[in-house]
Amino acid sequence: MNGLRAAAVALPILVLSAAETIAHHAFSPVYDEKRVITVAGVVTEFRFVNPHVMMFMDVTDDSGKVEKWAVEFAGRLNLSEFGWTAESIKPGEKVTVTGNPTHTSSPRMFFRKIVRADGTELLPGNAQRLDTIEELRRQRRKSSQQQ
Amino acid sequence: MRGRSALLGLVVLACLPVHGRAQTPAAARLEGMWSDPPVTPDGLFCFFACTDAGLARLNALLDNPANDARPFQELQGEAKRFERESLRDLLTPAARQRYPLDPADDPGFLKCEPWGLVRQIFAPHQLEIRQRGTTLELRYGEWDGRRTIHFDGREPGPTPTAMGHSLGRWEGEALVIESSGIAANLIMLPDLQAMGEHSPQMRIVERYTRSKDGAVLHMTAMLTDPQTFREPVVYKKIWRWAPEQHIAPYDACEPPTEFKKAVQR
Repeated sequence: MNGLRAAAVALPILVLSAAETIAHHAFSPVYDEKRVITVAGVVTEFRFVNPHVMMFMDVTDDSGKVEKWAVEFAGRLNLSEFGWTAESIKPGEKVTVTGNPTHTSSPRMFFRKIVRADGTELLPGNAQRLDTIEELRRQRRKSSQQQ
Repeated sequence: MRGRSALLGLVVLACLPVHGRAQTPAAARLEGMWSDPPVTPDGLFCFFACTDAGLARLNALLDNPANDARPFQELQGEAKRFERESLRDLLTPAARQRYPLDPADDPGFLKCEPWGLVRQIFAPHQLEIRQRGTTLELRYGEWDGRRTIHFDGREPGPTPTAMGHSLGRWEGEALVIESSGIAANLIMLPDLQAMGEHSPQMRIVERYTRSKDGAVLHMTAMLTDPQTFREPVVYKKIWRWAPEQHIAPYDACEPPTEFKKAVQR
């Protein structure tokens, strides 16, 4: 494996909400929201642009063959809400990316999670928003139980 | 001489009726950068736009203790489905025949064609409001879309345009914008997961108010288009005061290299 490529894995289905619609168009024509894959590789370029931030990476298979992968994100206008910048991911970084594959299983995916070599994670902004909402709901339940 | 001109300008400005001016204390309260809504259930639900019926359904689901173990995303999805069905029921028979549009046929996706006004005003992310002389400019992060709000009652041109013709007035501290002359285009019902088409008869009345604490901008928009809706429809939207945000270039749109039509969600 060279540690650089992982096969498609079965992960819980991630259902997109309206807030996750990818910037200027719907998600469904390109990506399969019912499947999730994980791929590891080395970043070659990170473009912090609109309407979609893009990351390109080299993924090496067991035989040593290098395949070019593209990872699509929400737009710069979305990620900047969560403090992302053009420096958030740097060329040369070893990363493991989890995302939704295309319908044709081409070497391209939509970002769901990145794990860096040091184990730190990058997540979509909406995951942070949903965590905050669940915490609000927990606090509300707690306060109503105390009354 | 310059002082006299400035004085004359002030006198002229003071004589203009309030509804004919972009520059008022109320305008100053709205001016600046707004962006994604506060992280609350209502904020997330209205990320693009929402209706009162949808919000009521969401809050009923959240208030029901039987749903305490269900994730918010699931409840939001259920309320959104209800909201989409409610909006579909308001479509005219002709509009319903063309609903929903296959997202793969969206020209914004296929050809990088910027949105028309009816989608643009509900775009997520940045909204910058600036006074420009006697007009207001509303600039959106999505597509770097811009529109000019006139306060002089001028008539629209003979040909409908993508961003239409917008006239503003002040009702107390509320900015009210009436738009017409909007070319036929797509409409979100109420987001990109469910789109239809609207006609050039579309008229929109937007009403913007800032919360007392200044942190939130509320907008209600009444959409009237007899070829699309059996009765006027009201959408709501929320932005958060976001002076730290700025609008970045929107210059890297590329048509898709691969896509699939008629994907069932």
